[in-house]
Amino acid sequence: MTARTTRLDAGVREAMRALSAATKKGLGDAALAELVQIRASQLNHCAFCLDMHLTLARKHGVSERQLDLLAAWEEAGDDVFDARERAALALTEAVTVLTDGFVPDAVYERAAEHFDERQLAHLIGLITVINSWNRLMVSRRIPAGSTEW
Amino acid sequence: MTTQTDAPAAGTAEYAPEIAPRLPWAQLVPDVYKAMIRLDTAAKQGLDPKLYELVKIRASQINHCALCIDMHSKDALAAGESVERIVQLSAWEESRHFYTGKELAALELTEAVTVLTDGFVPDDVYERAAAHFEETELAQLIAAITVINAWNRFGVTCRMTPGHYQPGQHK
Repeated sequence: MTARTTRLDAGVREAMRALSAATKKGLGDAALAELVQIRASQLNHCAFCLDMHLTLARKHGVSERQLDLLAAWEEAGDDVFDARERAALALTEAVTVLTDGFVPDAVYERAAEHFDERQLAHLIGLITVINSWNRLMVSRRIPAGSTEW
Repeated sequence: MTTQTDAPAAGTAEYAPEIAPRLPWAQLVPDVYKAMIRLDTAAKQGLDPKLYELVKIRASQINHCALCIDMHSKDALAAGESVERIVQLSAWEESRHFYTGKELAALELTEAVTVLTDGFVPDDVYERAAAHFEETELAQLIAAITVINAWNRFGVTCRMTPGHYQPGQHK
């Protein structure tokens, strides 16, 4: 693969880190945050982000079974992902695949049943931020594990 | 939300009713909103504002963000952009003679970075952009495309209502 050498401006990097930290802190559920970030990174095919968030998920105690089955969470059974996790993952997919059209009412309302308004706003923020990291890393083809970006 | 002047006239029987936003996210999580503003400011440094408006409109079209289309079309018009170039944006591949080579390369990159779920950013698209933008400017363009994609996600998910934006309000 051809290397791409474009590096981000320091101001953009710092602003991204601050935005990322604000959404994660607000959601206040590190394990769920990792599931959301891994699922979005799968949909956006971001190798750098998958590598990073799979490592972080293990650190935060997410089970191997959940990580193995995340790409097929809808078929994985309620014993693998609970209703709150499912609601968050369904919202993650809808917000990530915007080009196919909008965020359905059923998906939004399911999320609103499991998260209060502030948590929901932080969750939407977190999904948006991982989508941003995915775009920044995929478009510049940053390799998994790279410290140069 | 200020005045109703740009929204469809109230009492016009043919129009569907306006739908209220789902979630006032900026009021609920002002720390996240402020962090978005900071990111937006950082990403647009060094970019031609006229080109950036075209990028923002095109990404917002692909992501179907009504509020962002409203905002950026009005801002572009207020900044002196032509109606023709805004109208033709959704078919830019067939109306290339309305745009410069640099703008076309930026629009093509915008589409590739926006539609990631269909797979990656092709080498030829990236290289065409790299031929028109030097490295620092290219990094800013990628950041700017990323940021409008982020605003689109807040706008669509929270169903922010279009029609009330006044040009320059968020400049």
